[in-house]
Amino acid sequence: MKRLTAGKLLTAAFILLLGLVFFYPVAASILRSFRVEGQIAIQSYMELFFDCFIFYPMFWNSVLYAGVITLLQLFVIIPCAFGFMYARFRGKNALYIFYIMLMMMPLQVTVLPNYIGLRDMGLLNTRTGIILPMIFAPFGVIVMHQYMKSIDNSIIEATRLDTSSMIRILWTAVVPQLRICIFAVALFVFAECWNMVEQPMLFLKDDRLKTLTIMISQTDTFSPAILSAAAVIFMIPVLLLYMFFNEHLEQGLTLKDLS
Amino acid sequence: MAKQKRLSNQKHVKVRRMLTWNGKCILCIGLSMIGTLFFFIIPYIRVLYYSLIDNQFRRNFVGLANFIETLRNKYFLLALKNSLLLIVICVPVLILLALVISLALAYGIRLLKKTRVAFILPMILPTASVVLVWRSIFQGNESVLPIYTLFIWKNIGICIVLLSAAFSSIDREVYEAASLDGTSSLQLHRYITVPLIAPTILFTVLLSIVNSFKVFKESYLYFGGKYPPESSYTLQYYMNNNFLKLDYQALATGAILTSILVFLIVLAGLALQRRFYK
Repeated sequence: MKRLTAGKLLTAAFILLLGLVFFYPVAASILRSFRVEGQIAIQSYMELFFDCFIFYPMFWNSVLYAGVITLLQLFVIIPCAFGFMYARFRGKNALYIFYIMLMMMPLQVTVLPNYIGLRDMGLLNTRTGIILPMIFAPFGVIVMHQYMKSIDNSIIEATRLDTSSMIRILWTAVVPQLRICIFAVALFVFAECWNMVEQPMLFLKDDRLKTLTIMISQTDTFSPAILSAAAVIFMIPVLLLYMFFNEHLEQGLTLKDLS
Repeated sequence: MAKQKRLSNQKHVKVRRMLTWNGKCILCIGLSMIGTLFFFIIPYIRVLYYSLIDNQFRRNFVGLANFIETLRNKYFLLALKNSLLLIVICVPVLILLALVISLALAYGIRLLKKTRVAFILPMILPTASVVLVWRSIFQGNESVLPIYTLFIWKNIGICIVLLSAAFSSIDREVYEAASLDGTSSLQLHRYITVPLIAPTILFTVLLSIVNSFKVFKESYLYFGGKYPPESSYTLQYYMNNNFLKLDYQALATGAILTSILVFLIVLAGLALQRRFYK
């Protein structure tokens, strides 16, 4: 075993301190919501649950958007990553590099094309309009493709002898091997959608279609007590997901050689 | 005779299967491709068109006039400067910090692994949830400090995840061989670990640069939708304000210029990575 050196202890202390600094905002947010005028109370939660009815549709919208996008995205990215792995055609590498570029493009580049696409299809200010463009985000394709390089090819070959149905091959030979990666990507995509601000802000006009992120950012409309309670409730779903899938995160998200 | 026919039939089926395998694989990409086509590629071409005309109604072709105007626009230049400053200052700090933390998590005292959650949570948790606390920490600080801190706080998680994944793929024997020579652990990591995971580090840098363009979300939530101080006015603010005015020409030109900038950064990154591998 390695010896404990002074250097190691010093590093440990430093990291511990840093961890506390990073954790402080989360802890403080939670504590804040339970404090009313210096005393411990659940008043802000009462106010939120019984006096603030816009909270319910907005919470439901957040769940709906993030859930549906994550689920549908998996149906798009798994076949797509598989296709990139096994298909052979001219220009495949160029197409892959295009996907990498698209993954790297910030929202200020993609949001206007998305907006124009939605406007022309008459999908602005609808739920579909928020969900549809997000399903085709390229991030999952790239991560999934990276992970696929390490899976066992012989199982796929064996299944190919049994069936010619692509859906069955994907379902029985590919998906089980991708389990860890699927969890990691799903967690990541869910958190990303849960956290989205720009799309609901720009694509939606109707307040009843908007998400909790928008509600929490409206500091003028709601009282601080309600907002801090809503902020904590808002953390819970992602926190639960993180607790379930946290070990898979590192094994699932490997990105190194993109060529 | 019948047997022969069945055999040839089987062969025929098999040939058909072989032929369609590649086709099916291409079809698998198709669904994603169609979505990308309708929500990105085709609209992007229209954005390009918008950036070359004078306005929506007259549609006169004006060449690069919009670009010249945007590049002279005071606010665009301010936004560009602030966005680039964020990259130059924050990304090195972020990567260095992530490297030190993930090294300590991987090779330090085992108990330290428990602190990992503190660094990963900011990535997962919605910024909107903690922004109230951030506001009370900085108490209306008008400098760039709040946004820089939020950027590092938010993005360190993904960097640590990616770097830790790379560490776990390094063969432990490398260290045993090296530590026999009596090298210190600092030297060990400086000369062995870091070069071994150089491609991942490069990718993390690339991703962080790109994520720095996305800091608008944090900034918007932090300032509560109000106008930010001049030093925090980044490219996305410029875009967002033009979105509210529905000034398509300014928006389109801004989007095209930003996409060219990102394209060049990613291209440089990919080229560098290719050199690492050879």
